[in-house]
Amino acid sequence: MQQDTSVDIQRRLPFLAAFVIVFTVVLFVRLWFLQVVKGDYYYDLAENNRIRPVKIGPPRGIIYDRKGRPFVENVLVFDIALVPEDAQDLGATIKKLSSLIKVKEESIRTALADAAPIRAKYEPVKIKEEAPWEEVAVVEAHQEDLPGVIVEPEHRRHYPYGGLASHQMGYIGKISQAQRRQEQTAIGLLVGQGGLEKTYDKLLRGVSGRRMIQVNAAGMKVKDLGIEDPKPGTDIYLTIDLDVQQAAEEALGARAGAVVAMDPGTGEIIALTSHPNYDPNLFPRGIAPKDWVRLSNDPSHPLYNRAIQSVYPPGSTFKVIVSLAGLDSGLIKLDDKVTCTGSIKSGKKSFRCWKKAGHGTLTFHRGLVESCDVYFYTMGDRIGFDRVAQYARNMGLGSITGVPLTDEKAGLIPTVAWKKEKVGEPWYPADNYINSIGQGFVLVSPIQACQMIGAIANGGLFYKPYLLKQTRNRETGVVKKTRPDRKGRIILDSAALEEVRKALFGVVNEPGGTAHGAATPLATVAGKTGTAQVIAQKIPGQKLFGKQQDHAWFIAYAPAEKPQIAVAVLVEHGGHGGAAAAPIARKVIEEYLKNDGPPLGR
Amino acid sequence: MMDRRWAVNIPWSMVGIVAGIALIGLSAVYSATYTQRGPSPLFYKQMVWIGMGFIAMLLMLIPDYHTVGRYAYVLYAVSLLLLVLVMFVGRTGMGAQRWLSLGPFAFQPSELAKLALTLSLARYFAEAPKQDYCLRDLTVPAVMVLVPLVLVLKQPDLGTALMLMLTASLIVLIAGLRIRAVLVIVIIAAVVASTIFLVPPVKKKLWGSLKPYQQNRIRAFIDPSSDPLGSGYHANQSKIAVGSGQIMGKGFRKGTQSQMAFLPERHTDFIFAVIAEERGLFGAGVMIVLYLSLLLIGIDTAKNAKDRLGALMAGGVVSMIALYVFINVGMAVGVVPVVGVPLPLASYGGTSVITTFLSIGLLVNIQMRRFMLFY
Repeated sequence: MQQDTSVDIQRRLPFLAAFVIVFTVVLFVRLWFLQVVKGDYYYDLAENNRIRPVKIGPPRGIIYDRKGRPFVENVLVFDIALVPEDAQDLGATIKKLSSLIKVKEESIRTALADAAPIRAKYEPVKIKEEAPWEEVAVVEAHQEDLPGVIVEPEHRRHYPYGGLASHQMGYIGKISQAQRRQEQTAIGLLVGQGGLEKTYDKLLRGVSGRRMIQVNAAGMKVKDLGIEDPKPGTDIYLTIDLDVQQAAEEALGARAGAVVAMDPGTGEIIALTSHPNYDPNLFPRGIAPKDWVRLSNDPSHPLYNRAIQSVYPPGSTFKVIVSLAGLDSGLIKLDDKVTCTGSIKSGKKSFRCWKKAGHGTLTFHRGLVESCDVYFYTMGDRIGFDRVAQYARNMGLGSITGVPLTDEKAGLIPTVAWKKEKVGEPWYPADNYINSIGQGFVLVSPIQACQMIGAIANGGLFYKPYLLKQTRNRETGVVKKTRPDRKGRIILDSAALEEVRKALFGVVNEPGGTAHGAATPLATVAGKTGTAQVIAQKIPGQKLFGKQQDHAWFIAYAPAEKPQIAVAVLVEHGGHGGAAAAPIARKVIEEYLKNDGPPLGR
Repeated sequence: MMDRRWAVNIPWSMVGIVAGIALIGLSAVYSATYTQRGPSPLFYKQMVWIGMGFIAMLLMLIPDYHTVGRYAYVLYAVSLLLLVLVMFVGRTGMGAQRWLSLGPFAFQPSELAKLALTLSLARYFAEAPKQDYCLRDLTVPAVMVLVPLVLVLKQPDLGTALMLMLTASLIVLIAGLRIRAVLVIVIIAAVVASTIFLVPPVKKKLWGSLKPYQQNRIRAFIDPSSDPLGSGYHANQSKIAVGSGQIMGKGFRKGTQSQMAFLPERHTDFIFAVIAEERGLFGAGVMIVLYLSLLLIGIDTAKNAKDRLGALMAGGVVSMIALYVFINVGMAVGVVPVVGVPLPLASYGGTSVITTFLSIGLLVNIQMRRFMLFY
């Protein structure tokens, strides 16, 4: 070993110094050569550097359904654009262009003025998008009279099914100024602005290519120099089944409402509908102001995704939760008897059952099958709402499901403490009553209802609902599958769960059940209806109309013994759940089970 | 312990040179990223980076450099960990997965790895002092280089991998190597290189493993005029930018090449071309002379360091900075192939700016403590 001195290193350092000096000299000589000896030559080159990159937009990824059928397509269109820097006499170019294509001179000037503050030098300004073929041909033919005018190929998004699944698809639009500040991209780039087009925008977008063209001093194209191919966006395959989606939309028809169907064993969303919807084809070119005003001011809120953004009182569907809470905790025994006379008194107030004549004496099974309100008033009061709320939250109510769509609402599951804090009032026995039949403060979104019934179908296993089944890179063909995201398992007494499931089967299949409209020869269906009051009924039995009518709910799964699909249907102001919502669920279930064959096209 | 006249001991010439380089660089970033709507957010970010870098440099003066040496392996381990992490959660840009997202900022672990490797090699050779190392002594250092090198190649970042290799080689040469060992390495390298180029199946396999843009860059360097718009585009446009700057330059924000976006990556890899175009031979020359002074002061520091660790650390840091400067400037003026490496202190990029400031802080640290006998 030698001492800790650096004598030998010091000996070598001059070599490092020499290396540094020699290299510096080499660089300096090179700079001298480039800047002084050949300076004029390069200066001329720079001055005449008239290579213009023309952006080639990448084809956006295609969105397919779970069987490989496209929900959207890309249509190749041509835009006519102007590079003002390349037009020697801008006025003349505008005049000539205006005479060749049907665009007013003023609109060309307006387009230029609008783009001026945000565009980079030599960035083309779109004059006419989706120009008809004759105009493109005319412009190409008159290249020499139109210095600065170029034709840009673009891929325009087209949604062949119009409003079908429009809330998931979302829409695309020009990148906003705020978004552009975050990422340096070309003006006018079309990006996802809502729905899955936005959620998976980074995947779908792809990378622009460029066509290099050389222009002469007058800004006219001299020759094509080469193409850098754009990279197409990644294709995505949704979990949605086009047929089931269509069946759901048709079944819902013109009524406002939502349908959610999922595979309870994975969390795959099979169909997700919200009506009224909108036509996403209005958006890709930049939506016309009058269309936008019409859509956003429409009192029926077509832009709203009711399946995830609207919350409703769950009505009698909530009795499923109360049943689970009671049976699992042992506070309800199967043979506990309750006698329904059509109403029950609490203090001075009287609470009615939906069946004026009363159900007579019944136990748990018939109580849930016939959806007796008095039975659940009694049981809800016995269990106590804080305990019910605990089960409701365990079943995913009161918090968002995490489906990859924006602005999901969490709904509300009240507790005694919550009421004290928010309403400033104590929790009365009456609150136990009305909340136990899903009225009062309880609020649930259709997707939560679907997730909840799915967990019951699945023996307490919870999956996060998702929409992206797989992605496929169009260039490499590499397929990436999404794995189901298991959120957890609700530990429930299996006997209690079995009893609830038996009763849900009874709702559809037993005499006196409220949802015979959901029964289908294809499979056994189990479910629960709900009829959620919109306004308090002053006179019992009075017929309500329009916006005062109740919301109709139906939640179901099928086949009852080995569930493959869970469905939640909500029809706004639809009236009775059994009459309005159950037949919709039946059509969805039939369509899915009928085709339950090969899962994926490729 | 720290001397009370601490501030007096700070070599202000060094600080001045560093500030000069950083400010010229910053003004070029301002010019290169300027948009129609005013200065780009990138300019403000770079300003923050430089400010943070300056503070990092000053903080680096507080601990004794032996303390820094003690933590070298820890830093090395952390940087390896981050390199692995970036493979899984890294942000992708230009076909490579190089960045870790930290809110609005991005962190590039490979930049940290180069400093960590330099310090670790310095410590390794300082702890096993020898007059001249033979090949067997190089086993551990070779592993130390290869692990981050492979990780960086995986990203893939050919440029940084190359820089790690070159920096490590220079450090080994400074630490001392037997002539025989040098000869053996040269022969092995020659054999490997000739296998690659002369045995077609091997050549095909290796060539195929490169990304298309990497193949293009190598092809373009061999024959830049072959395709002026495809592969040779960067190199050609950069040369035009530099040459057209002539002696006095076109003026601030007047460079046609830089402003019209003919120059790709102009605020990062080609920042020197922007300086040369807008400030001419005058500005570019000042820049080169500043770097030369910085490197010579660094070599002087290594020479006067009071022990092997100091000398090796200083030598290593100088080698690292020198290689980055020469490869980057060489690329801008067309004497080396286009490999994406930043110009220390001048190119836009937070991790690069801060690690360079840290390295220079270390140099100053070693310089300040050269007369102290105990630590």
